[in-house]
Amino acid sequence: MKIADTLRRAGRSLKQAKARTLLTSLAIAVGAFTIMMSLAAGEGTRNYSNNLIQSNVDPQALFIVQDDSLFESGGTASTGLREYDADVSEQGGRSLKLMNQEAIDGLAARDDLTDVTPTYQLSVRSIEFSQSDTRYSAEVAAYNPDVISEVAAGKLPEKGTSIAADEIVLPEGFATTLGVSPEELIGNEVRLTIVQPSSTLGEAEAREVIATEGVEGLARRAQGETRTITTSVVAVTKQSSTSFTATTAASVSAETAKEIAEFTTEGTDSYQKYLGVTAKAAEGYDPAKVKAELESEGFSAQTAEDLQSLIFTIVNVLQYIVAGFGILALLASLFGIINTQYISVLERTSQIGLMKALGMRGRDVSRLFRYEAAWIGFLGGVIGIGLAALATALLNPFINKTLELGEGNYLLAFVPWHALVLLACLILIAIAAGYFPSRKAAKLDPIEALRTE
Amino acid sequence: MIEVRNVTKTYGRGEGAFVALDDVSFEIPDGVSVAILGKSGSGKSTLMHIMSGLDSVTSGEIRINGENIFAKKQKEIDAFRSRQMSFIFQSFFVQGKESCYDNVGMPLEIAEVPASKRKELIMHALNSVELGEKAKSKAKDLSGGQKQRLAIARAIVNNPKILFADEPTGNLDTTTGGIIEDLLFSYNRDKNATLIVVTHDPELAEKCDMQIIIRDGRVQEIRDNTTAKGKI
Repeated sequence: MKIADTLRRAGRSLKQAKARTLLTSLAIAVGAFTIMMSLAAGEGTRNYSNNLIQSNVDPQALFIVQDDSLFESGGTASTGLREYDADVSEQGGRSLKLMNQEAIDGLAARDDLTDVTPTYQLSVRSIEFSQSDTRYSAEVAAYNPDVISEVAAGKLPEKGTSIAADEIVLPEGFATTLGVSPEELIGNEVRLTIVQPSSTLGEAEAREVIATEGVEGLARRAQGETRTITTSVVAVTKQSSTSFTATTAASVSAETAKEIAEFTTEGTDSYQKYLGVTAKAAEGYDPAKVKAELESEGFSAQTAEDLQSLIFTIVNVLQYIVAGFGILALLASLFGIINTQYISVLERTSQIGLMKALGMRGRDVSRLFRYEAAWIGFLGGVIGIGLAALATALLNPFINKTLELGEGNYLLAFVPWHALVLLACLILIAIAAGYFPSRKAAKLDPIEALRTE
Repeated sequence: MIEVRNVTKTYGRGEGAFVALDDVSFEIPDGVSVAILGKSGSGKSTLMHIMSGLDSVTSGEIRINGENIFAKKQKEIDAFRSRQMSFIFQSFFVQGKESCYDNVGMPLEIAEVPASKRKELIMHALNSVELGEKAKSKAKDLSGGQKQRLAIARAIVNNPKILFADEPTGNLDTTTGGIIEDLLFSYNRDKNATLIVVTHDPELAEKCDMQIIIRDGRVQEIRDNTTAKGKI
């Protein structure tokens, strides 16, 4: 029997048992749908995070720290005591070696790095606006010139250029709290109050302070010195969906950030000590090579690519879990195929006997049943993948709206070649499941099958 | 020419062994109609299965046109059967859910007849049993007589040289049975094909050129009317 005839005949046999065929296919469709959705979700999430990284992180960017335990999950959380080291910060049961000014100066002097900026930990006691007499507390961060947020009012400098030292960028939420429109804030004065920690002086130190600065100086030391930084609002930014930077914080220039950081830590152990620095590989340098070089010098560095692969790892794990459920569903549906085909063989005993009497070879009979299984796999695959395509099309706008992902960002991406590969796999799996029933059919004795009832 | 030589068929072994056919020998010339007559359990159906190569022999051989079919490979026997032989059964075995056209087309698919030639062959076969207008009807919607006519169309579509009919009228009334008999004998005459009818009905056997009477697995008697009827 020719293959085309066998295929047609297999299709016809299935059509004659429509309900059974459809139900068996639906079982496969469930698995196919789940797997297709997991593929779509994985692809979509990867695309989205790619977008996210590309709009936030310069591919040349590096994050450099002194201690690589920051980049390692788990790590060595020591339970015992460690000898005091002014360069070590204890955080969450873990000791992090901080980067001191000397190291930063060393990095800044390198040819292969530009824009070396420490990660300032800014703490501002209060923030005041000319529109209100109330003092507010707010988060302040260093302005990131590589991310251009959407502005509600005012104007930001071009990408790569920082705002001026006396300028500040506020998030839209501040305007809402103050009860003014974003436009009204532009050009207005914002005062940041920063406080130096009070210091406890030894007797000799206290005497020295009194001798040089008088009792007032001693009182000032004990209280902590206060400074007010006056800035003017240059822009008010909107909440952005593809931005990593905390849009709840006011942004100041790197110079102001340095001033705040140094002033608020002066006289303490954390003065001019930072978690790390952000930098860029200079033009013409490969960030991966720069990273390798830094690591050989005892630093730890993370490139934009590392960040991407970290996110991808998380996405992949989630995807494998969902796909795993799909594969389980598929596995269950295989027993459905085997069962259906066994019943089909029993029902069609006389037909098989007749075909064999008419000279059909056992091999062809077996192929007929395997092709029927293939059709079931094909049908189930088409239904499942079709539903997945439909679900993708219907869910994307909804997800986009709910999660406020912004224009053109979809978490589900239906990839046609994935669908085709999946369909081919389903057909092969179905054929494999059809093997046992088809062998039974092939071995059927025509005389036995044709014995008059 | 079909030669049956010393065919013995035994089922089982030892004391429980059952001898279905015991040293059966006869010859059937080409183009004759033969009745294999016997009671139920006489071994006549087993004989038909062996002659068509569906069943094997314990000893002996079947020679068709001088060749022992049991010396051939299964693949060759299957191919031979698909091109040279066909069958009609008491219970029709038509595929109820398929159209008449598809029922008749099945042997052509098995014999790998090119698709382009099939339509003509199928319609010719259907017309010769007067079912041309039912080509698109489902086989289950036919009456018993029509179903057996459809089975005949299916049997003759590929112009077999040997046609086996196992109790072809057993499930039909006399009138309908008569039509079926006429169709079988006219195919036998017109195409000069060998018709082998397995039956327990002496009246039907009488209409054949030869009668081979089987009893308890042995040939009891062979009546040859071929010379009387002017054949060979």
